[in-house]
This record gives sequence, structure tokens and C-alpha cells, in this order.
Amino acid sequence: MNGRPAGRLVGLLMDGDRTGAVDEARKLVEAGVRKEEIVSGGLEVAMKGLESKCTLEEFNLLEIMIAGRAVMDVMRFLYPAGTNQPSTKGTVVIATPEGDVHDLGKNILRFVLVAEGYRVVDCGRDCPIATLADAARDEGARAVCVSGLITSVIPVVRQLRGSLASRGLDGVGIIAGEAALKQAAPEDLDVDCVCDSAFDAANWLDATRERRT
Amino acid sequence: MNSIQRITAALNGESPDRVPVIAQVFGRAASEGGAGLGAYLRDGKTLARCQIAALERYGYDAVFALMDTSVETEAAGSVLTYYKDRYPVVGTYALPDARHLDRLRQPDPERDGRMPELLRAAGILREEVGDETLVVGCVLGPLTITTQLLGMEKALYLAVDEPGLFGDVLDFATGVATAFGRAQLDAGVHLPVVFDPSASPAAIPPQVFREIELPRLRELFSALKAAGSAANWLHIAGPSASILPMFPEAGVEIANFDYPINAGTAMNALPETCLDGNIKPLSFVTAPIESIALEASALLDAFSSRGRFILSSGCEIPLEAEAENIAAMVGAVQVSG
Repeated sequence: MNGRPAGRLVGLLMDGDRTGAVDEARKLVEAGVRKEEIVSGGLEVAMKGLESKCTLEEFNLLEIMIAGRAVMDVMRFLYPAGTNQPSTKGTVVIATPEGDVHDLGKNILRFVLVAEGYRVVDCGRDCPIATLADAARDEGARAVCVSGLITSVIPVVRQLRGSLASRGLDGVGIIAGEAALKQAAPEDLDVDCVCDSAFDAANWLDATRERRT
Repeated sequence: MNSIQRITAALNGESPDRVPVIAQVFGRAASEGGAGLGAYLRDGKTLARCQIAALERYGYDAVFALMDTSVETEAAGSVLTYYKDRYPVVGTYALPDARHLDRLRQPDPERDGRMPELLRAAGILREEVGDETLVVGCVLGPLTITTQLLGMEKALYLAVDEPGLFGDVLDFATGVATAFGRAQLDAGVHLPVVFDPSASPAAIPPQVFREIELPRLRELFSALKAAGSAANWLHIAGPSASILPMFPEAGVEIANFDYPINAGTAMNALPETCLDGNIKPLSFVTAPIESIALEASALLDAFSSRGRFILSSGCEIPLEAEAENIAAMVGAVQVSG
């Protein structure tokens, strides 16, 4: 990163020091470091570091949230409202499907994907499948991620593949996660991947991206 | 043995006539009594009638005076959004700004929100089953009440940004849980289970659980026991293996373990504590009957020499669960003897 140690920004992000992280990002910009480099060399590295600390047994929301909040603050500094956010890895549409209003898991996924260099379109909670599929079409998404905390959304999730196909989006990947959905197998939900964590989702997206390129 | 004697034997490490089985049938009971979920969650008489109908159908060992995870926060002033066929959620939190905690009044279980209806359900259930079947009430743990007063994200950020103020809210929440639990015991429950999903390691690190929640759970259980609770039952869903060994410090006598934890891990973590679990909740919706029976049988085998076990689901049996699958779990203990 142009001679400036990325480690400091990474450390501040992982500690959740939002003020310190934004200050550091500002210094990097002033030193001539490109914003894209700050994302790839700082934000993405911080999230990878966090991932390595989070096993299935020890994953904890608090640590991810605090780091994620700092990441989002840095992103807002780098790309204020109205300016273009980089989408080096493509666009992903996320939502909590209709029938479920618990959106914390989805919000965590947004932190992680943004930090990993994805452009994220958040369709919110209690989101009808048609709205989600429309967004995937309109935004040129390469994947759709759904997060469900209650088992009653499973039949709704099963409709997503057909809804995407009816819009000519057969190639768009579908990822499911969160407490209710992760009890099921991908074939039971008719999705491509059921993830234990937001990091799993990012890894699946990275892996499928590499296969395509 | 009746259900209470059976559960008491399991709790004390003695040999019951068969392994006790408690299906975590909460809102799922509504359909057993021919009621809609909305009426079930708001009318104590309906709730009790449906729980009895479910008990008569399945023949398990406990009934629940339990509505949902928003009873305490609603009684404290949160405004809920109700739905026809799913649990309510908080629309407006009682405590949008933790600095205004002093404006929040401790809810009165006899008056506020749906608490009086839950107490009514508890009274009817106890009258119906007496001391034959366990009547279980429910209070949320301090951390879960806190997240329901503030909102999960705001609560967790507060824990980091202003730990002192966060502690004050937790203390308030401990007071809510204690008063509600005592009122449930007065109304007739044998014990209130303490539900604390927000305290799961999926949400907070184990060391944070130890520092902020464990002492308050100890205080809560101590108060409930003094008020006559038959046993201290803690229910924390998800991957709780890392915090299970801490449970005895809080006085926990029955510990729920969810499906991500295998029986051996749970037994090693809590060698002297009665465990209940842990069939995957979704299996009651999607799995074939044989698979439930097999899973139940494997659990019964795993605990056969150790005892101190209550066969159950890992967490709540979903609203859309198949009746035959619930029956298959209950039937497993009859087969096993």
C-alpha cells in the first residue's frame, strides 16, 4: 500500500476502533494510496483475519459487528453517498425473505461482503421473492443471498430458483444462511450453498468467481 | 411413576421407569387445540386449553405456559407487530435510548402486557395437571430481555461502547425476569425455564458471557429457587459447547443442548447436570418419521449408562412440525422403556 503499513488499518478494524480506522484511512488517502487498495489491502485483510478467529463453535456476532461497523464507517468515508462504490468482485443481492423480519444475519453478511469487495444491494427484510428476483435482474447480480431465522420461510426460499429462471437468470447463484435455513441441505432448499456463516458465503462467492474467470 | 417423579429421578441421577420426554411444543400446540396462533399467544385460557390438548395427544411429560420472546419487552412498553400465523416481533423498542433507562418502569406481572394472560395460563394448567405433569413457565434471561428492550444491534454496540450503562440495563432486565418468574411460580408453574438465546456463543464470546451474564443468571436462579422453583433450567440454543461448563456456577440443574452439540460433548461439559436435547428442530418438519425415531434412539443409547437425561428437541419444535414426528420422538422412550 504505497509504503504505508496496512497492518495498522487492519488492526484498528479488527479491534472495532471506528474513529481510529477512519483516521487511518484518511491518512492513507492523503498519502496517495488508492481507495481500491485500501479496500483490498485493509478491509478485506481485516475480514479475513476475523474469519480465521471465528470457528463454527467460537463464531460470535459481537466481534463481527464491531469490526463490521468500523468497516462500514471506512467505506462511507471512502465512498460518500452518491459516489461509486467499487465492485471488483461483482454485485450480490441480499434479503431476509418474506415471512421473516429478523435481519441481523443479513446485516452481518452485508458488512462482510462489502469488506470483501462485493457491491451489495440490500432488499431489506420480509422481502417478497419477486422483489428479490427483480433486483437481481435489474442490478446484474451474480448471486442472491437469503437469510432466514424461522423455519416457515423455507417454502418461500424454495420458490427463488424458479423466480430467477422466469427472468432468464438461471446462472445466478443462490446462497442461504442463518439459524433456520442452515439446518437444511442445499437440495432441500433448492439453493447452491447453505452457509454456516457470512464468511462461508464470501468464500463460496470467491470460489465460484474463480471458477468462472 | 408420574411425569414429575420421572423428571425428578432424572434430575437426581436416579433410575426413572423410563426416560422423561419433553417436546418443546409451544405455539405448535395452537393447532392441536383448534386455535389460531394469534389467540393462543394472547389468551391464557386458549393457551392452556391447547397445551392440554397437545398433552393428551402426545403424552409427554411437561406442558408449557409460554408465549414468545416478546412478552417481557411488551410489558415494559415495546410495541409489537402481530401476525396471523407467526410470532410477533418488536416494532418499537421500549428503550430506544439506553440513557433514558430511568424513564422505564419495572412491569407489573399482574397488570402489564400479556403477562397476566400467561399467569392465567399457568394457573389453569396447574389446576388441570396438578402434580402429575410438569408445568413449565418461561422467563427470558437478562441479556435476551436487554436485546429485546433495545434491539439486538444497539444492545451489542452498547455493550462495547458504554459497558457501565449496558450493565445498568442488564440489572433492570434481571429485575424484570425475577419478578415475572416469581409471579409464575405463585400462579402455579413448577418451574420457569430461563430462555436466553442472545447469550449464545453465536452472539457473544464466552468470556463476555462469563463476565456479564453468568453472575446475573446466578442471581436470577437463586431468586427463583428461593421462590419455590423445582429446578433451575437454562435454555441457550445454538453452539453453546464453550459455555456449558460454566452453567453449574449459575446453579443450573437442567441444561438444554441444541443440535449442533453432540451428546458426548454435552456430557463431558456437564458430567453431573441433567441434560435435555437435542433432536434438530427442522427434522420435525421435513424428516421422515423413521429418522426421528432413529435419532431419538441414538440419544437414548448415548445416555443409557449415564442417566440424567430428558429426551427433547434441541430448541422449539417449529409451528409447521408434523404431528407424526412429534409422536415418533415421544414413542421412542416408550419403546426404549
